[in-house]
Amino acid sequence: MSAVRVQPVSTHLIEIRLRPEFADAEGAEALARLRAEGLSALKDVRVSRLYEIKGAITATQVQQAARELLCDAVTQESRVVNPGTPPLNGMNFWRVEVWPKPTVADPPGETVRDAIAEMGLPRPDSVRCALVYRLLGRSSRAVIEKAVEKALANPLIHRFVVSEAHP
Amino acid sequence: MSPAAAKETARPAVPAPAAAPELGVLTRSVRELRALGDERHLSLSEAEWAAVQARFKTLKREPTLAEIETIAQTWSEHCKHKTFTSPIRLSEGRRTRTIKNLFQETIAAATAAAKKPWCLSVFEDNAGVVAFGRKWALAFKAETHNHPSALEPYGGAETGVGGVIRDVLGCGLGAKPVLNTDVFCFARPDYRGPLPEGALHPSRTMRGVVAGVRDYGNRMGIPTAGGGIWFDDDYRLNPLVFCGTVGLLPAKAVKKEVKPGDLIVVAGGRTGRDGLHGATFSSAVLGDDAPGSAVQIGHAIAEKRVLDALLRARDRSLYRSVTDCGAGGLSSAVGELGADCGARVRLEDVPLKAADLESWEIWLSESQERMVLAVPPKDLKALQAVFAAEGCETAAIGEFTRDGRLRVVHHDEGVVDLDMKFLHKGLPREVRRAEWTPPPPQKASGGAAKRLGEILREAIADANVCSREWVIRQYDHEVQAGTVIKPLQGVRHDGPGDACVIWPHAATGDLEDRAGFSVAHGLNPEYGRLDPYWMAMACVDEALRNLTCVGADPSRAALLDNFCWPSPDDPKQLGALVRAAEGCRDAAKGFRAPFISGKDSLYNESKDEKGRPLPIPGTLLISALAPVPDVRRAVTMDFKGPGNALYLLGRTNDELGGSLCHRLLGRTGGEVPKASPAVTLEGLRSLHAAITKSLVLSAHDLSEGGLAVAAAEMGFSGEFGAVIDLDEIPRDPRIYSNETLLFSESAGRILVEVAPENESAFLRHFGKGAKAAPVRRVGQTTANPILKIVGLDGSTVMEEPLRELKEAWQRTLPAMLA
Repeated sequence: MSAVRVQPVSTHLIEIRLRPEFADAEGAEALARLRAEGLSALKDVRVSRLYEIKGAITATQVQQAARELLCDAVTQESRVVNPGTPPLNGMNFWRVEVWPKPTVADPPGETVRDAIAEMGLPRPDSVRCALVYRLLGRSSRAVIEKAVEKALANPLIHRFVVSEAHP
Repeated sequence: MSPAAAKETARPAVPAPAAAPELGVLTRSVRELRALGDERHLSLSEAEWAAVQARFKTLKREPTLAEIETIAQTWSEHCKHKTFTSPIRLSEGRRTRTIKNLFQETIAAATAAAKKPWCLSVFEDNAGVVAFGRKWALAFKAETHNHPSALEPYGGAETGVGGVIRDVLGCGLGAKPVLNTDVFCFARPDYRGPLPEGALHPSRTMRGVVAGVRDYGNRMGIPTAGGGIWFDDDYRLNPLVFCGTVGLLPAKAVKKEVKPGDLIVVAGGRTGRDGLHGATFSSAVLGDDAPGSAVQIGHAIAEKRVLDALLRARDRSLYRSVTDCGAGGLSSAVGELGADCGARVRLEDVPLKAADLESWEIWLSESQERMVLAVPPKDLKALQAVFAAEGCETAAIGEFTRDGRLRVVHHDEGVVDLDMKFLHKGLPREVRRAEWTPPPPQKASGGAAKRLGEILREAIADANVCSREWVIRQYDHEVQAGTVIKPLQGVRHDGPGDACVIWPHAATGDLEDRAGFSVAHGLNPEYGRLDPYWMAMACVDEALRNLTCVGADPSRAALLDNFCWPSPDDPKQLGALVRAAEGCRDAAKGFRAPFISGKDSLYNESKDEKGRPLPIPGTLLISALAPVPDVRRAVTMDFKGPGNALYLLGRTNDELGGSLCHRLLGRTGGEVPKASPAVTLEGLRSLHAAITKSLVLSAHDLSEGGLAVAAAEMGFSGEFGAVIDLDEIPRDPRIYSNETLLFSESAGRILVEVAPENESAFLRHFGKGAKAAPVRRVGQTTANPILKIVGLDGSTVMEEPLRELKEAWQRTLPAMLA
């Protein structure tokens, strides 16, 4: 029996978002495009980034990477996303995650993987980077999916998930 | 026994490749094979399948999948330019003639006729190379990335830019990119018509493409300048994205040579499953079954590392030859480098992104940001150290041999064993049919008359004339600090420049050397709808005029051609293509400007929402590069002060066919502009001489919208007005209409501003004879920013405030994108 404890391979999701007090230019652009695609009831869109980090790395180490590498502490905040159904508030909030398909290269993800290793942390097996759009406004899933497909994601290279979400 | 041969025997003998049973090339009929091949996106024709079958029948074995894929890639339209090199039977009315090799008889013939000693490498390498001073050379290449950009605009444009940068990087022993220049053809972003299922809206295509070009160029630290955009709704399903790059390399690094025994080293990114079938896919008509794997996302930072490491290794002479891994991946890069000797590759040594790649996938993958080098074994260690210092992976994956065979093994299993000669010369040539019916001379007809001022307002606000500031401001055109003449000019830095001038001191490191270069483009598919021959002439003419306007030397101009055409299987389209190529030949001969490189993208055709074919208009982009002897003498296009004389160079004819004015008035027919190269070239040389003596304050070429638009642009950029007397214009005496004089798009014309004290010195540069280019004083600049036109009868026919014209000019593009 080996005495070395082997860190099991696990998957962590880290979301980096702009603090609410800052104006979100990317969000404004997405809002304009979604409105042009028929989501006229939309009031606001905030954009954040989601990193899926897989490998023999602990939650504490991932949080360190999130704080020191992925997050600009002045304007942004990071949080760990727990996979599973997010709590719903039953109304006006939607969450759209746009992921690159597994066959498509993800340069930001590759860069983050190398950078985590350069921090002295264990090198993750893979890092994928997604864009998250948090939508405020009344709508239905089908309508949002259609608009997202036209304005924010290209089904050829992206897969996206639309869910009702907690703000 | 030679040392190389001894080394070969030391390794285990290459096993015969295992066959791919699912193909059954030897037993199936050619038609079955073609159907099978189309399913795999191989794009081989029946005659080509027959040649493959015959070859393997003599070898008495089934080809492997990797072999079939290698042949399909190497023989694709993308790599071998089959249309341009196959025999063509052309019927022109009742006459029929045969063209043996369109490329050799037009483009290459013109270059050979020009006999320019400063052309250091033409049509051989990844880019054309011309001399730049004594110590340096410039490599220039432009190519398209249309199909990927139609499917995924951001990734498609990004990898297009990345690809052309690698072309320049893999030219000679490697050139440092000093300028990116990009031209696009889109449908109008405010297009409201129907689109087929799955097609991206033109506005999204445009945003994505601009963002892709911006991000890749900006991240790599290469200035992006001197491009253009053309809007036409027939591009809605097939946008065109031309990416161009100029690189600087030492003159002694132009030649490269692979020696048997050199190691094959792949450097840069890892190989993955991305981008399979890019080359064959781009040689087919776009349908809704396009493979997702053909689209890729670029990684600019990885390419920047390769660039830095490669140039450092070049300066230490650590390799003998280099090429980029583009379409066809390793198969075409290794095939190209080893075409004259032979190569043996071990796929298990290729660094992979995922472990489960099949042999043919490794061999054909088009993963980005990879270069292939030929490295003498003694230099391998030093080379790997240079690349490792940049955090850039390298791997020796085989060696060049002298047996003339391409052999690939994967874990001791044969994957490919092909004769280089069959691979590169075995392509069957099919005779193609082409048809050209000269258009009957047509008088202009139809449309409604409008006030001259109204036409000008509409012309200046037209999508193809309006300000491109929204796009230009996204690009970093200042990085490397050598952009002497910037894309936006004038007192407020927002006027439309003719071309950019680059002083590459950051790459040469020589601040005493004031030589720079300029790049300009010519493109007008509207003329091509009437006659592709004159379109080609007009494109060359416009590119050269743009160069001359900023101070570049027109007698040292080198050209690139980029043909984007619908399916050449249609004899009419092929006839038009032949006609355009012949226009290129005659223009190059007339202007004595050689072509140094080029590319074609065919099959730009899609099914529209009702299933009807929607071809693009036949499009030709001419890109021109010329040195600027002293960048301190470069000239911008804005008026510099009041009371200066305005000279018009070139003759105005009644040539409104395909013009902007006709389109605005809804008129059809008319004569398309017919360039006269000999006369124009003489005028351009005279103007260049005057510019090098600092006798010219500003110069601007007359293109879409003719004299009126050019004068207005010069005026509002400099914020001075002008009075122009139409009766003074050198012209065809049969013109009696002010409208024709103002809006005709006759070729070869430039509006020039000269200070009163320099007028006689300026005129001394121009010849006097009947064949000399006419130049005449047509008016003067004024302090009041109003464009005033005096008509043929002496009365004022137009008086337009320039401020309003400028506002209209600036409003269009943002409004279309909103």
